[in-house]
Amino acid sequence: MAISPEQALAAAAAGASARVAQAMTPRFNVGDHVMVSNINPPGHTRMPRYIRGKRGVIARDHGVFIFPDTYAAGRGERPQHVYSVRFTSHELWGTHGRANDELFVDVWDDYMERA
Amino acid sequence: MSTNHNRPLSEVEIRVKALESLLVEKGLIDPAAVDALIDAYEHKIGPRNGAKVVARAWTDPDYKQRLLVDGTKAIAELGFSGVQGEDMVVIENTPQVHNVLVCTLCSCYPWPTLGLPPVWYKSAPYRSRVVSEPRGVLQEFGLELADSVQVRVWDSTAELRYMVLPERPAGTEGWTEDALAELVTRDAMIGVTKVVVPGK
Repeated sequence: MAISPEQALAAAAAGASARVAQAMTPRFNVGDHVMVSNINPPGHTRMPRYIRGKRGVIARDHGVFIFPDTYAAGRGERPQHVYSVRFTSHELWGTHGRANDELFVDVWDDYMERA
Repeated sequence: MSTNHNRPLSEVEIRVKALESLLVEKGLIDPAAVDALIDAYEHKIGPRNGAKVVARAWTDPDYKQRLLVDGTKAIAELGFSGVQGEDMVVIENTPQVHNVLVCTLCSCYPWPTLGLPPVWYKSAPYRSRVVSEPRGVLQEFGLELADSVQVRVWDSTAELRYMVLPERPAGTEGWTEDALAELVTRDAMIGVTKVVVPGK
């Protein structure tokens, strides 16, 4: 059946959250120091290259979400916590960074190690 | 889509037309569904929604508190929710901290409150430069920040969608919520400008 105008508008109004209603113990807590893994997967990933191998601090725990790297490849939802991770400008951009400025990047649990 | 016979269609326009006719020919969509969505995002869903959220937060401290704690829920109180706004985070600009948003991976953007993203937001230069030299990019938008102000760049790489709660401009004491909402711009809710009172 072709998607009707009513169905299209209803879908836009409803949305489709990738949040998973599943309680999971987070691996990291707010304030923990982390290092983003230097992974370079051949398929889909949502980890931007500029944070790979960089150190940051967990700023917020956003809750549990589907993991796109496995989901996009048809390998399951692999639900896990997503965190807002705070990086200093200097950590990411070296001497071209600015003292005091910061970047916050949303990072899935699997992308990080404890630092 | 209106047709201008004076110029050839752009590559994107040709691609969109081809995609739409394929979807229709294969019986996957009713062409009226595309028109309904275009109408919704042209006339109903856009930054005026976000402006109402901001004006409410400026005039109602309890609402502002709820908005900063659970953006999705507080925005839904005003009737704004749906695709690309399922999980919202609102971050507050202050005299000490200026926040600016980007999606370095693609074009993630909070549709129910801000509508569809502007072209520059999706462009490679904005996405690459606002993370590495945010102050330079903000200057190009006409925003000069003192060295003492901290710049925070938020990269929406995951499923959260962000919106900036701009600072309420001085000289608007006693203004109504509607009058305040008129001042709030899309760019201020992305964080590339501030909200200003015209003529000041």
